[in-house]
Amino acid sequence: MNESILRAEAVSKSYDGLAVLRGVTLEVGRGEVKVIIGPSGSGKSTLLRCLALLEPVDAGGVWLDGARLSGLREKELAPHRSEVGMVFQRFNLFQNMTALANVMCGLVEVRRLKKTEAQARALEFLERVGLRDKADSYPDELSGGQQQRVAIARALVMRPKAMLFDEPTSALDVELVREVLDVMEGLARDGMTMVVVSHELRFAHHVASSILMMDEGRIIEEAPPEKFFSSPSHERTRRFLALVE
Amino acid sequence: MLASFDKHIFWEALSSRPYWHGALLALELTCATLGAAFALAFFLALGALSKSRPLRGLVLVYNWLFRAIPTLLLLLFVWNGLPQLWSAFTADWYKPFLAAFIALALNEAAYMSEIIRAGLLSVDPGQELAGRALGMTRGRILRRVIVPQAIRIIIPPTANEFITLLKLTSLASVISLYELLGASTIRASQNFAYLEAYSAAAVYYLGIVSVLMVLQARLERRFTWRSTARRRRALPAVAHDAR
Repeated sequence: MNESILRAEAVSKSYDGLAVLRGVTLEVGRGEVKVIIGPSGSGKSTLLRCLALLEPVDAGGVWLDGARLSGLREKELAPHRSEVGMVFQRFNLFQNMTALANVMCGLVEVRRLKKTEAQARALEFLERVGLRDKADSYPDELSGGQQQRVAIARALVMRPKAMLFDEPTSALDVELVREVLDVMEGLARDGMTMVVVSHELRFAHHVASSILMMDEGRIIEEAPPEKFFSSPSHERTRRFLALVE
Repeated sequence: MLASFDKHIFWEALSSRPYWHGALLALELTCATLGAAFALAFFLALGALSKSRPLRGLVLVYNWLFRAIPTLLLLLFVWNGLPQLWSAFTADWYKPFLAAFIALALNEAAYMSEIIRAGLLSVDPGQELAGRALGMTRGRILRRVIVPQAIRIIIPPTANEFITLLKLTSLASVISLYELLGASTIRASQNFAYLEAYSAAAVYYLGIVSVLMVLQARLERRFTWRSTARRRRALPAVAHDAR
């Protein structure tokens, strides 16, 4: 096994006494792509937010590149968040900024780069997701698929150690899903470490190093795609796969 | 039969110095008050949305106090009462304009803070989440992302507040600040030409509010995140995309 980039150990989290994560342990090695599936309410999104350092954990810990980051104070934590790229289901592009300004924002506001340098780098990453010609468009003027690709560029430009995707295609019209998955597959090929919550099973089959099944705040099964789809060991997984397909 | 409307008296009033000065004074007082109230209200709104209970309580008390007290009462209190409380206020520098400014700003901040709070709350929480995920601090997220988006929501009710304040400045005539209404009352009492004197004052109010409405429309366009020119061009392209 190669070195671990992102690690969650025995992470528990509850909201108002309701346990959402019950001791989740997960290790993502450099260049690995883990796809998480599971019914809604199983804790997938919460796990991702804990990995993105957006939610404090109640118990357990989160390690990024060997350093334990959970438990840090907000002030010390903020800069570390830029080391993990997060892509949301609803894109969450800054509505008051053009595509270019969205991608520049982290470089200028967090990394304190000069505007010209940030702009050059942002354009390079917009190019990478095929949207250089949309640099001056506002999010309202872009299709969902384009918005999500800008959101990916916005996270990538920070050169994160890992990328997290929270159902990146489930808010998209069917015909726009492909362009986003293409970008993600390209990332995986380039060796990006990724954790993806998604029910795009064909994508998972092509790209994932392993697939994880979550249910009621636990990871109940983890296996390489071939094994996961052909002979899932857990009854719950079998039932879920039957429903999704 | 309608009594005659003396156009000559009307024009004379309209172009007279006291009217012009009165209107300018009303406008100055309104702008200064709204500006100060906005600044104070911004921090009140942040306090109302903060996690700290004492801070939220403080804002609640402020808003309760200054929304409950009638503006006229507050004005009289600040002008007549404060000098009795602190002798410093008996000095020469304490002018009716300043008293009116203090009273109206304290009063207005309570209303504005509710408007700003609603504006901040109207911004999709996903915007803050995305900012945090990028590693931005809360202050920067507020400055670069949330406030610009909240402003669009805040503009229309703020324009309403501007108009309300403009009219409230006429209350200041009771503390001998001769703004527009004060000027018209004096003129009317000189020759009992009420109709002409008040009509001339109304024209000024209409003029100021007209200019404001033009400014409001411009400001709203400025804070809409797609230029209309661009939008017209982009529409067919969007249809093409969704084919």
